[in-house]
Amino acid sequence: MAETFIKVENLSYLYDADDGNTRKALKDLSFEINKGEFVAILGHNGSGKSTLAKLLNIILTPTEGKIFVGGKDVTDQNMSDEDILALRKTVGMVFQNPDNQLVATIVEDDVAFGPENLGVSSPDIRKRVDEVLGYVGMTEYAKHEPHRLSGGQKQRVAIAGVMAMMPECIIFDESTAMLDPLGRKDVMEAIERLNRDKGITVIMITHYMDEAARADRVIVLDDGRLILDGTPSEVFEEEERLRECGLAIPQCTELIHKLRAEGISLEGECVSLEDCVALIERSLKKQ
Amino acid sequence: MSDKITVENLSYFHARKTPYEIKALDGIDLNIQSGTVTGLIGHTGSGKSTLVQMFNGLLRPYEGRVLLDGADIWAKPKDINKIRFRVGLVMQYPEYQLFEETIYKDIAYGPKNMGLSDDEIRERVLEAADFVGLDRELLDKSPFDLSGGQKRRAAIAGIIAMRPELLILDEPAAGLDPRGRDAIFNNIVEYQKKSGSTVLIVSHSMEDMARYCDRLIVMSGAKILLEGECREIFTRADELSAVGLDVPQITRLMLALKEKGIELDTSVFTVEEALEEILRLYQDK
Repeated sequence: MAETFIKVENLSYLYDADDGNTRKALKDLSFEINKGEFVAILGHNGSGKSTLAKLLNIILTPTEGKIFVGGKDVTDQNMSDEDILALRKTVGMVFQNPDNQLVATIVEDDVAFGPENLGVSSPDIRKRVDEVLGYVGMTEYAKHEPHRLSGGQKQRVAIAGVMAMMPECIIFDESTAMLDPLGRKDVMEAIERLNRDKGITVIMITHYMDEAARADRVIVLDDGRLILDGTPSEVFEEEERLRECGLAIPQCTELIHKLRAEGISLEGECVSLEDCVALIERSLKKQ
Repeated sequence: MSDKITVENLSYFHARKTPYEIKALDGIDLNIQSGTVTGLIGHTGSGKSTLVQMFNGLLRPYEGRVLLDGADIWAKPKDINKIRFRVGLVMQYPEYQLFEETIYKDIAYGPKNMGLSDDEIRERVLEAADFVGLDRELLDKSPFDLSGGQKRRAAIAGIIAMRPELLILDEPAAGLDPRGRDAIFNNIVEYQKKSGSTVLIVSHSMEDMARYCDRLIVMSGAKILLEGECREIFTRADELSAVGLDVPQITRLMLALKEKGIELDTSVFTVEEALEEILRLYQDK
C-alpha cells in the first residue's frame, strides 16, 4: 500500500499584482503524492507551477488551504524555525538557472555546504560528498571550479548539493530548461536514478513533454487550477485539452492519435518513442 | 541570390597566448544568403556563440575575414559600430539585459545611439513593439513589472528597432512554453517576410529548426560539420547523434521503423508528413 507523503488540501495563493489588485496564482488545489512517486507538473508559463513548488517548500505560505508533508501540517502558523529547517531538509529544491545555485569556489565545497549547515560531522560530510558526486557522475570534477563547468554539469552539482542533505523528496523547478540536449539527458538520467535507486520522491516541474512522459504520473495546471491528473498515457490522450492550455503532446504520440483518427487500429500505450515504433510495426506486420 | 554574410577561413582562439588557449573557430568557410531564415545548431562549446559574435564585430578574427554584403566588416575598424546597427544580435536570455526605467526607453536605446530624430525613434519603437507582439500599453511600464515572456519580447524589440539587415537570435525561445515558443518564432518569421531582412537563429531544438528554418548549419568542435536544407541534414541522424545533437522525434521514429525492416521514406520530419507516409504503407498493402 502506497504511503502518502505530500497532501495538499484546498490550496490557494493570492499575490499583489502591479495594478494594485490581488490575483490568484493557485485556486483550490487538492492532490496527494505518494512516497517514492515520480510526478511531473506541467503547465504553461504563468500557470502557477513555480508558485506551487515554492509553497511545498514553504518559501511561500499559502493564502488558504493546508499542506501536509509526512503527515505534518507544514502550513501551521506556529511552525518554529527548527520545523521549517527540518522541512527544507526533507524537501529539497533544484532551480532553473544553474548559475544561481552554486555558492562555493570548488565543486566539493559547494556540495558540502548543505550538510555543513546541518551540523553534520566532518568525516560524515566527506563520505556524503564523495557518494553524491559519484551518484551524479561528477566525481572527476570534485576539485574543479563550478563556473568553468557546462550548464548540465552545474545542475548535476546542484543536485548533488541537495542530495547531500539526504532529503526524502526533491522538487525540480524547470531544472533542464536552460540546458542543451546533452545536459538535459544527463540531468534527466540523474533524476530517474535517484528516484528509482534511492526511492527519493521526485516532483518535476517542466514544460518538456518528453520529460513528463518519463514520470509515473502527470499533473497539469492551467490558470492556477488542476485540470488533469493521471499517468502520462492518460494525460496525453487529452490532446485537445492540453492544446487549449498552451501545451503540446510529444510528436510521436500526436502521430499515433492522427493514425487512429484515420481509422487505423493501433492499440496500446503511445507515450515513448519506443511505444510508438512498436505499435506501428505490429500493426503493419499484421496487415 | 546574393550572400548577406560570407565567412572566409575564419579562426579564433579564446585566451590566446596563455596556457588556457582554446581554438574556438577553426578555419570556417560559410555563406548565408540574403532573405533566408537559417538555423545554427551545435552542442555547448561547439563555437556557435563565438561565430555569431564575429558577425557583428563583437569579436575580431585572428585569421580570415567576415564579409557583409561582400565588404570586409573590419576594413575600417573605427567604423565597426555601424556594422552593429546593420547586424543585430539578440543574446541568450536577453531579458536580463533590460536596464532602462521604461520599456519604451529600453527599445529606443539602439535607435537613439544611431542618432535618429525623436519622431523617427518613436516610429521605430512602436513598429518594433508591434512586430514582437508587445502591447503598446506596456511601453510606459518598468521592465520589473513585466512577465518573463514580455521582457523577452521587449529585448528582441530593442534590436528590431534598429532595423538590422541581419537579425541574429541566440536561443530566442529558451525557457518558454510551447505556446510562447510558437509565438516568438512566428513573430520572427513574420518579421523576416515583412522586412526582407536575413535571419539567423541559434537553437538546440531540432523540432523548432525543422519548422521555421530554410537552411541549417551544424557546428561541432569549432568547425562546420554539416550545411544544407533541413531535410538533407536530418537524414544524417548518425552524424548528428555522434556530436551530441538530436534529430526531430518524427525522424527518429521513421529511422527506427526502417531499422525494423519497414520500407519507408525517412527524410520526413513533421507529424503531417509522417502521417501521409505511413498511411501510404497501409494503402499499399
